[in-house]
Amino acid sequence: MYIQRYGKYLLLLPGIIVTGFFLVVPVILIVVVSFMQYFTMKSPTLTLQNYIDFITSPQTPTILANTFGMSIAASLLTLLVGYPAAYFLAFRIESVKTRNYIISLLLVPFLIDWNARTIAWIPILGEYGAVNYILQILNITREPVPLLFSRWTLLIIWLQTNILFMIFPIYLALIRIDPDLINAARVLKAPPSKVFFNIIFKLSLPGVAVGFTFVLVNTLGDYITPALWAGGIQVLGLSIASFAANFVWPYAATLSTVLVLIAMAVLFILFKLVDIKKLVE
Amino acid sequence: MKNKLAKIYIAAIITLIYLPAAFMIVLSFKSGANISFPIERFTLDWYIKPPAGEYAAYLSLFHDRQVFQALQNSIIVSMIVAILSMLLVTTTALALRRRIAGRDLLFYLFLLGFLTPGVAVGLGLNFLFSFLNWEFSVWSAALINVVYAVPFGLILMMARFNPDLVFYEQAASALKASPFRTFRKITLPLIIYEVISAAILGFLLSWGEVIRTQFALKGIGTLSTFINVQLGVNPLTPKWYAAGTVVSIVSFAGLAVFAYLLSKTTR
Amino acid sequence: MDTIVEIRRLVKRYKGNINALKGINLEIGKDEFFVIMGPSGCGKSTLLKIIAGILDYDEGELYIGGKDMKYVPPHKRDVSLMLENYALFPHMNIYDNIAFGLRMLNKDETEIEKEVSEIMKLLEIKGLEKRYPNEISGGQRQRVALARALVIRPSVLLLDEPLSHIDYRLQRKFASLLKDIHRKISGTAFVLTTHDQHHGLSLADNMAIMNSGMIEQVGKPEDIYMRPKTLFAARFVGEINTWSGEVLEISHDSVWVKTSIGVLKASRQNDEEIPNGQRVGYIVRPENIRIAGINEKADNTVEAVFEGMFYFGHYIELVFNAGGNERIKITTPTYNNLDLKINKKYTLGWSSRDAKIVSKPSILEGVDIEDLIYGR
Repeated sequence: MYIQRYGKYLLLLPGIIVTGFFLVVPVILIVVVSFMQYFTMKSPTLTLQNYIDFITSPQTPTILANTFGMSIAASLLTLLVGYPAAYFLAFRIESVKTRNYIISLLLVPFLIDWNARTIAWIPILGEYGAVNYILQILNITREPVPLLFSRWTLLIIWLQTNILFMIFPIYLALIRIDPDLINAARVLKAPPSKVFFNIIFKLSLPGVAVGFTFVLVNTLGDYITPALWAGGIQVLGLSIASFAANFVWPYAATLSTVLVLIAMAVLFILFKLVDIKKLVE
Repeated sequence: MKNKLAKIYIAAIITLIYLPAAFMIVLSFKSGANISFPIERFTLDWYIKPPAGEYAAYLSLFHDRQVFQALQNSIIVSMIVAILSMLLVTTTALALRRRIAGRDLLFYLFLLGFLTPGVAVGLGLNFLFSFLNWEFSVWSAALINVVYAVPFGLILMMARFNPDLVFYEQAASALKASPFRTFRKITLPLIIYEVISAAILGFLLSWGEVIRTQFALKGIGTLSTFINVQLGVNPLTPKWYAAGTVVSIVSFAGLAVFAYLLSKTTR
Repeated sequence: MDTIVEIRRLVKRYKGNINALKGINLEIGKDEFFVIMGPSGCGKSTLLKIIAGILDYDEGELYIGGKDMKYVPPHKRDVSLMLENYALFPHMNIYDNIAFGLRMLNKDETEIEKEVSEIMKLLEIKGLEKRYPNEISGGQRQRVALARALVIRPSVLLLDEPLSHIDYRLQRKFASLLKDIHRKISGTAFVLTTHDQHHGLSLADNMAIMNSGMIEQVGKPEDIYMRPKTLFAARFVGEINTWSGEVLEISHDSVWVKTSIGVLKASRQNDEEIPNGQRVGYIVRPENIRIAGINEKADNTVEAVFEGMFYFGHYIELVFNAGGNERIKITTPTYNNLDLKINKKYTLGWSSRDAKIVSKPSILEGVDIEDLIYGR
């Protein structure tokens, strides 16, 4: 009798302990340390100075604009490119086998080493890269064209990495739409555009929200890609990494807290809009 | 006609995302210490050329002792992650089946494992270990990745749970099987593919991970973090594409096994 | 009669204070074929699962074989359970499915082989040993599930709605199989739940009628059929005509009731004192009503218009309208060959000996007679 009742709580224990120790406590700590003047375990002086510095720093607006702006741009771009792909996958590819195959293929970029998938663009778009080489051979240009140093490159790199996480939730939401709903609309003489926008798109919104949020949160925390990419855009993650590397831990903690707050705000909005559990059941 | 457009579009996307992979592989075979086009000769040098007194950064992969150390660390960490995330995903998924107090909240808690930026978690972990005076090791690297991998496996397993599973367990109970024996003879065989998939997911997700591992393992680190550090201090040569290729090959192998397992249903 | 299952004041609550079981008292005898009947949601499955041990209870007592089951988990009870959806283990073949319980009881393989072989022969499923559950027919799966539950020779075999969701012929077959096996195997009480009253009547040694978590009546089928204690029980078992009315007069063996179709006479059941003016339900079974000839005398006569008939093969149900939408049902064997005209008036009659009054609508509080009769 007792195992039935209390067994389930016991089963949860390992997961809770590990998550508590390696996720919850670290996050609590960065919030705590963000209020410290110096990093110390014994009676630290607590102050708001870090936050004041952050708010008043002249670089802050740029950094925040870069970080948030690029992440939103990446999410939008991925949505724009990914939604049609999900739509086609759900409605235009018949065989389920082919669909699974394609989804597996889309998983590929996520498996390519993080470093490689960023620096691999250098031989493509760089001064001495393939594109420039071909352009020069075809005599379209005489000098190497600087293609690498635009923000678009970063967006494309992020697009390539995150596209699956946009396509998959939207695809899942689309295949759950009851075909009878679409048929009913058609029978009632709705034009294809109305059918799409009023029914299909609306019903796929949970998937869109999930995908968008995931790409957003993923890119917010990604400093490796901007670091490796030659353009060198200053994002929040990079600041955190550099302060951390220089052992200016309290300020790094402050920046991290800001980052986490932004991410949590985004997630909070998502969870309010969409019931994630429905996608799982 | 409509289907043609669909196929072309999807093919275009796939091409786009395969581009870097293709270039990475091709460039790993380029001879010469730069990565500019055109490629004159192809060689296996970056992989296996025996050392001939070069600067360490130009050693071929096979002969670079640090690369080997990093590779070893990668394997150890990812194997630990595989086993631990398999265990945690299974126990947690089984526990979250029934209606218990705070079930939804717990689910979201586990989800936060991959939704919280790795920078923050990594930094916080450094604070924690500093407070506790603990050393970083493959275990800390593994566990920070486990927290990241568990939500993926959890969602996968919960989505594929056979709803009849509860009835089978009840029947087994009525047939005099103790809870432990019920798990061993009934539950486990029926979820085994998902369990192993959770392990493989754990392996895959930690294999290429840079940010979290970087904060949780000092020194040479895993192959991916090693490459990341080296890229910051060394000139860009095909060696790093070769290294990237090696990392990616393991991932592909893992994906193949994962896809195979997923195609098998126990329903 | 020796009791094998004893239940006292059993209460089960679900979250939000919904009482699934509101105080059950029940005794099931060794070797009895017991049927628990009731409408969907009355709690019969819950009760069964509590006896099996897969659900816990909040108040009351449960004894099986004289032992208190409060802290005994299902795998330690001398009880077996056959679920509504059979739950045959999909990853094991039929032999392993049936042998499962015996293996859990750590019996040795030679003994297991003998038992499994015997039960498979008894249930006529020999030859299916190597097949898998998804490879056999529905009827075979049913019998495999029964074999699996039975082979461990429990003192009590619980069957949760075994006759639901299958077509009529399979129901009849399986029902007689159950009776047959029960007869052949001694020492096992069968407890079966159903919402179909015909099952209870035809199969039970003893039965209980449940309604919203309480027991309306327990007794032999004939007892409940002939002498229902509540209106609910009367209406649940067998077909019946019911009217609400007020008591006008009582004599030492009869009762006169004023109903919407006139003053009707019923026989008095027992020495129960029923005051004049009390609202009661008046009941008479369809097979006891006849179409009166011109000069026939009967205790009760009612003029009614013939509306139509339902053909059931060996008997016919005739429906009459006695004015103001009060319907009267008569059943009669087909061979009676009545030639009735629709919309024509006939005189229906029955003896007061076949009619009864029931003063209690239901064991539940606050149930109105009119609501019960005219449908809720």
